Amino acid sequence: MAGHNDSSVSEKKSSQAVDDLPTFSAENMQNNMKVIYYSRTFLSIIGGVIAGILGFTGFAGFIFYFLIMAITSVGLMAKAKFSVHSYFDSWNRIILDGFLGGLLSFVLFWTFAYDIVHIF
Amino acid sequence: MGLGFVVGVVGVVILSHAAYSTIQYRSLLKIMEEEFSGPPMNVVVELLLGLVLCMWAALTVPGNFLSIKPDTDENRMVSLPGNLDFMIFNHRGKVFSSEMDMKLKI
Repeated sequence: MAGHNDSSVSEKKSSQAVDDLPTFSAENMQNNMKVIYYSRTFLSIIGGVIAGILGFTGFAGFIFYFLIMAITSVGLMAKAKFSVHSYFDSWNRIILDGFLGGLLSFVLFWTFAYDIVHIF
Repeated sequence: MGLGFVVGVVGVVILSHAAYSTIQYRSLLKIMEEEFSGPPMNVVVELLLGLVLCMWAALTVPGNFLSIKPDTDENRMVSLPGNLDFMIFNHRGKVFSSEMDMKLKI
């Protein structure tokens, strides 16, 4: 009995969720996400090379990475003509996605460029 | 695509030149027996220039954003014609004479 009630409640919830769900084209969404990942990866590599050449060590490099990613976010917003909701379903897509993966490439190329320029 | 790619390549070349001049500056400092305090001015300018060029390339090369809203102009054509089951050639409307025929008769 209880199980039956639960299932009916969840069914009701899910139908409500379907009603509330905004419809959008998933393929275009995926294309947009691919564009964002591409931009972020490339710019974190370039940012890593620049941080290495400038000779940043320790915390300054990470601050530089945050700066680069903030500029990238602004650039992506400008590319979306500042109407984010017609290209993405939430703000997090444009601000946060690809951040951690980019950080790893950043650290790799940061140490690489620093070693080449300042140590060897 | 082509222009953005070329701009990105130019940016990377500028960055590598900045790296090379920093290496030369370090060897000069080693000869003069001074400590490295920061990169010289022309290197900083080159780095900024390279960053701007690469930023532009990174924002243009991957392609344009496509609108995800179902009611925009790009998404107006839904994929029904792609599914052959939904194609209809015969329907009951053809037994009624169309307005065009009526006009021709009159």
